[in-house]
Amino acid sequence: MPSDGPARRASSDDQPLTELRAILLGPDREAWDALRQRLENPSRRAEDVAGVLAEAVRLRSDVKLRRALQPLLEEALQLSVQSNPRMLADALFPIFGKAIRKAITSELDGMLQTLSQTLEQSFSWRSVQWRWESFRSGKPYAEIVVLRSLLYRVEQVFLIHRNSGLLLQHVAAPPEAGQAETKDPEMVSGMLTAIQDFVHDSVSGAESENLDAIRMGDTGVVLAYGPDAIVAGFVHGVAPRKLSRVFQDALDSIERKKAEALRKFSGDTSEFDSCRPQLQACLVGQGRAEERKAGSWTARLLLFGLPALLILAIAGWWIYSAVVERRWTDFAHRLENEPGIVLTHTERRGSKFLVWGLRDPLAADPASLLPAGLASSNVEFHWEEYHSLVPRLAAQRRLAELKEEVEKRAFGFATGSAEIVPDQRFLLEEVGSQILALNQAAKVLGKTIQIQVRGNHDPVGSENFNSALARTRAENVRLALIAFGVPSPLLIAIPEDLEKETCGALMEQERVVCRSASFRVIGVP
Amino acid sequence: MLKKKICMVGEFGVGKTSLVRRFVHSIFSERYLTTVGVKIDRKDVTIGSASVTLMLWDLAGEDELTQLNVSHLRGASGYILVVDGCRASSLKKAVELQQRIAERLGPLPFVLVLNKVDLRDKWEVQSAAVSEYGWPTFETSAKAGSGVEEMFLALAGSLLSANSAAEDPAE
Repeated sequence: MPSDGPARRASSDDQPLTELRAILLGPDREAWDALRQRLENPSRRAEDVAGVLAEAVRLRSDVKLRRALQPLLEEALQLSVQSNPRMLADALFPIFGKAIRKAITSELDGMLQTLSQTLEQSFSWRSVQWRWESFRSGKPYAEIVVLRSLLYRVEQVFLIHRNSGLLLQHVAAPPEAGQAETKDPEMVSGMLTAIQDFVHDSVSGAESENLDAIRMGDTGVVLAYGPDAIVAGFVHGVAPRKLSRVFQDALDSIERKKAEALRKFSGDTSEFDSCRPQLQACLVGQGRAEERKAGSWTARLLLFGLPALLILAIAGWWIYSAVVERRWTDFAHRLENEPGIVLTHTERRGSKFLVWGLRDPLAADPASLLPAGLASSNVEFHWEEYHSLVPRLAAQRRLAELKEEVEKRAFGFATGSAEIVPDQRFLLEEVGSQILALNQAAKVLGKTIQIQVRGNHDPVGSENFNSALARTRAENVRLALIAFGVPSPLLIAIPEDLEKETCGALMEQERVVCRSASFRVIGVP
Repeated sequence: MLKKKICMVGEFGVGKTSLVRRFVHSIFSERYLTTVGVKIDRKDVTIGSASVTLMLWDLAGEDELTQLNVSHLRGASGYILVVDGCRASSLKKAVELQQRIAERLGPLPFVLVLNKVDLRDKWEVQSAAVSEYGWPTFETSAKAGSGVEEMFLALAGSLLSANSAAEDPAE
């Protein structure tokens, strides 16, 4: 083709040469033209490259191509997110949506578990200990609760290559009595992976789910998954949900550090020796059963002693209240049975006992009826007075009336005389019969009475004379009453020498009262 | 320490389990084969100064009713095709399995094992028919124990060379 230009310029001179060329190259010329057209036309060239691009990329599947494509892909993704984030979100949703849902569920589960435990233990002796521990160590209380509330121990931790099931690393806690022995970790690791496959195959719809935990009696396996590796822990006891978080965190850190080694893993496990610290951090555990059983005596004493004391105190208080109540009831009964007392209402107000009712003034003093153990300051009486018809009280009242009657009477005398005035004879009969009735009433009540006959005088005259005069007046009235029929032992005659003030400065007509003999009944309250 | 996952595949009853029983370290019962469909054993091999731990995934044999569980093949570095010399069908099955595995896992080192060499006079499989595939082939007897160690050594050797090839990738 380079000969094409000169051929045109010398078209007239080189006619034979051109003809020769046409003869020689004639059949190829069309192909050349076609080729030139393909090369010069960009759209044709693009079509050609498009035809082989996929094959070319497949052939060149080495690092160089990947490196060359990396920035392009990154920029393309960035552009895509900027222009239409929805598309990428939709594309990624099947992967992330599930993972996010699972993460939220597990987080909620964990929270609920912790919450319920916290509630259970809010008011226990242990919670007091934990609060103290939290205060002392500066750790949040919630963390202490989670740490202390579950009894478990991670005995072995496996780091497993997810694809091949090969064991990358294995750490074990120092063996303890009664610990289940795990056989060949290599094979256990493989079998765990196989079981995982088995579950996937057996449960339809679980292809993208993972086996989170396996339990056999007291021991269980807790698993955490990453894109290229699995962390599996053999746990003795009840594993808290937080444990899978611990595993997941360890695994995430390993996956970050060893991403390349994990992806290209071809059987050399020495690269993962440096992961031992992360795995050892998973060998956690809390509170062995023996420790819990032992417990301190003080704790137990407080734990069981306090409620027992409380129960005793309640029982004691109850018994005491019953006894006091009983005493008050007895007291109320005694009041009710007491003549001259009628209860209308009783009431307990705290320690006070309130009584409402009717009371005859002659009835016994209610406070004197209080039994031992009840203080009179604790009782409050509200009485209405009334007259009882109980015979004893009626007799008492009669006695009091008669006494009053008798004591109102007085015999008047003339100045200087001790003779009973004849027109007062009727008074003698009256007083005599009243004294006899009084004596009778006293006998009914079982009482003995006496009546003092008191002789008085006015201030006029000498003292000696007056004194003798008063005695004679009393004696005369006494004798007259005995003559009327009053038994003599009932009557005592005495001069009453205390009228100086009463009768000292009286007018003549008033002095009459002072020249008298009066009565005082003894033995009647 | 180099560890490799190896799968043992073959038709039902060709003697895969018997083949390894006497030569490997095992903790799992053979019941796993019928329940989980796989049993895992360990075989430690030393070649020169290198030692390789082969984790042998003894997969349940395939027959008309049971399909090979391909998910168990994931992450395998090599495999052992086991053929019962007394059954021509087992060779056919092995060839078919090889194709399926190669499709799924790509080119991987493997060996073909013609088992039950102690019953050679009853063999239906002709050595010539096998050699036309050009695969590394071993004649073993699980009963007498012959050829088994050699087979493991050869497989471990090809795994090691595949490993060193992978570690020095050509740019």
